[in-house]
Amino acid sequence: MITPFRSPRLRSVNRPVLLALTGAGLFLASLDAYVVVTALLPMLKSVNIAVNRPEQATPIITGFLLGYLAVMPIAGGLSDRVGRLRLFAACLALFAFGSFLTATAPSLSQLVTGRVLQGAGGGALVPAVLALAADLYPAGDRSPVLGAVSALQEIGSVLGPLWGGLVTASSFGWTWIFWINIPVAAVIFWALWPEIRAGGEERRPARLDWLGAALATAGLTLLTLALYAANPEQSPVGEGFFWQAPLALICFVLFFWHEGRTSNPLINVRRFRDSSFTGSALTNAVAGAGLMVALVYIPVLANAVFSMNASGSALLLFRLMLGIPIGALAGGFLAQRLHSYRLVAALGLVLAAIGFLLLSGWNEGSLRAHLLGPFSVADGELVLTGLGLGIEIAPVSAALLDAVGEAERGAGASFLIVMRLIGMLVGFSLVAGFSLWEFHQATAHLLPPLPGLNPNFASQYAIYLIKVRQAIFDEYHLIFRATAIALFIGAVLAAATLRPLPRPRWR
Amino acid sequence: MHAGASPSRALTAGLLVIVGLSACGTSPPDAATLLKQSSQRMLGLKGFHFQMQVSGFSGTGEPVQSAQGDAHPPNLQARVNLKEGDILLEVAVIFASGNIYLKSFTGGWQQLTADQVAQFFDARALFDPQTGLFAAMRDTTSISRGNSEKVDGHDTFPVDGQLTGARVHELLTLIRDQGAYRATYWIESPGNDLWRARLTGNLFEASQPASITFDFSNHDHPVSVTPPPLG
Repeated sequence: MITPFRSPRLRSVNRPVLLALTGAGLFLASLDAYVVVTALLPMLKSVNIAVNRPEQATPIITGFLLGYLAVMPIAGGLSDRVGRLRLFAACLALFAFGSFLTATAPSLSQLVTGRVLQGAGGGALVPAVLALAADLYPAGDRSPVLGAVSALQEIGSVLGPLWGGLVTASSFGWTWIFWINIPVAAVIFWALWPEIRAGGEERRPARLDWLGAALATAGLTLLTLALYAANPEQSPVGEGFFWQAPLALICFVLFFWHEGRTSNPLINVRRFRDSSFTGSALTNAVAGAGLMVALVYIPVLANAVFSMNASGSALLLFRLMLGIPIGALAGGFLAQRLHSYRLVAALGLVLAAIGFLLLSGWNEGSLRAHLLGPFSVADGELVLTGLGLGIEIAPVSAALLDAVGEAERGAGASFLIVMRLIGMLVGFSLVAGFSLWEFHQATAHLLPPLPGLNPNFASQYAIYLIKVRQAIFDEYHLIFRATAIALFIGAVLAAATLRPLPRPRWR
Repeated sequence: MHAGASPSRALTAGLLVIVGLSACGTSPPDAATLLKQSSQRMLGLKGFHFQMQVSGFSGTGEPVQSAQGDAHPPNLQARVNLKEGDILLEVAVIFASGNIYLKSFTGGWQQLTADQVAQFFDARALFDPQTGLFAAMRDTTSISRGNSEKVDGHDTFPVDGQLTGARVHELLTLIRDQGAYRATYWIESPGNDLWRARLTGNLFEASQPASITFDFSNHDHPVSVTPPPLG
């Protein structure tokens, strides 16, 4: 939980400069949240992993999310203890070190370690910068600043896949996505150094719920391992699923038990009795899962079936990503206008579900179908999906923040991010395992023709490739339909649980 | 004054013992002995794990990028990464009971002819008792032994030498059969386990330096390979 406090020294510094520098660090880290989705294949190749072993890419994505989730709950309180800038600098250094490990990785294990450290460093920057902004500006002036910081993070994550795709397709190659972080982090560190060294930040002994954070992280790590299908030919889940999943459940039960007893919990578990709180938290997780599916599978589909390079697939995904901020603005406006969270949240999720259903109908000619001017039908479907995913953000977030009340708003905001990330992590892990397992089932008897045995090898091989491509399409259709169903369920959940907007009260 | 138990004397005595033992210690075997004994040792193993990595090659026409598996020659099972244009594709191969089996991107196992497997990677030839890598150790010329080096935590001696292109071509037909290539072997002593072997030179193209590195482990762990079910 973030505990804002005021430091006379921090108030005397050049606040816009300090905020710009820390905001730049936050932006850098948020760029890297989803940056790998358009660079996965070259990354795998550089650590000598074949294109037909995509399951090995899963930890590159889940590793970052796990690192992010592990530090989020304690970073706010930790910044109270050690000082915002010190924590910021330490986490930026960790993020840069993770970037270095990722860029120089000769093996998958180092690649994943690098991504976990990037996530841990990057994740802690969010509460640190938000709390710093709250320190620098008084309550009345704080909203626009906090909004700007949040916007920086959102813009960074939207631009990440595009940035990753463009760098990967350039002559620099994918490693420069990560190399570039090091000098930029160094410059930010250098510029902040006088402030950090002066040590004028006020610190206060915040009580950190280490046990709660450890139980939650252990549970999530075990769940991620349980769902990681390292051998999807044999099983849609991990080999250790039957002991890891129950152990994860035990960790979560212990977490909730502990949170109910400790004096300084990460999350007030009594809030879960409020259906609006629980409903908005779960809806947020479902939307996160939907976003993650789009983030990962649209670039891979573009690459595997439409033979696009990294920048082409990034641009395809960008159409969807572009819809998200537009949808987010529209969702906020509509919720206010219609005076309903549930209606607007459900509308956004239904639109996103329809978008996914339309995407699930894609075939080889889909990108060429003409819609309007230079825009194709596929463009429209992608933007619609993004708009839907954007529209639900404001009403779902607002419903949860209303449910927690003013005293817990900081914790509530963190919880929103955590739930979205959990949705991303669990949703993606499930989809990755089951879709690859399904693909292997569908092609279990599709033998590739061998040169030498077949007199018509060339034509048979061409037919074989068409069948493989169709199997990949079938897999994607399944993934997008399953995501659409999950989003429809999310819409029903939102419609059934979210409370109406409270009457505005001026203080 | 009784000085028999003083720390300085004990230290001196200890140093003398160490120096004495070092002086009496045997010097490491020469390069020829190491190669011969290691070749014998590797050819007699009940099984081992291997990893092969091709590096320094960026062109086309060289399908095998890497392989790893377990072998008890002539039987072996391996996962092989093939380079198809700009992408890597993994296939599984099994050599068992005189037959060759392949499992590709899709479908189950199918049987291959020797001609078919030769088109991409005949892993049997690598460890053939007459023409494979372990036999080639004895055919290495201009050999010299380097200082002790750690490989995977094991104390080894690197032995450097030369192999003719024709000889190396026998163990991997993708390699050009002209000129000579540098061969380096990292051999544990005592024990004679070969932990690493590297071939360097213009292996695939006349003007393009490349290398192939083999890493071995699980020496003498029994490996049993059986034919897989087809289909």
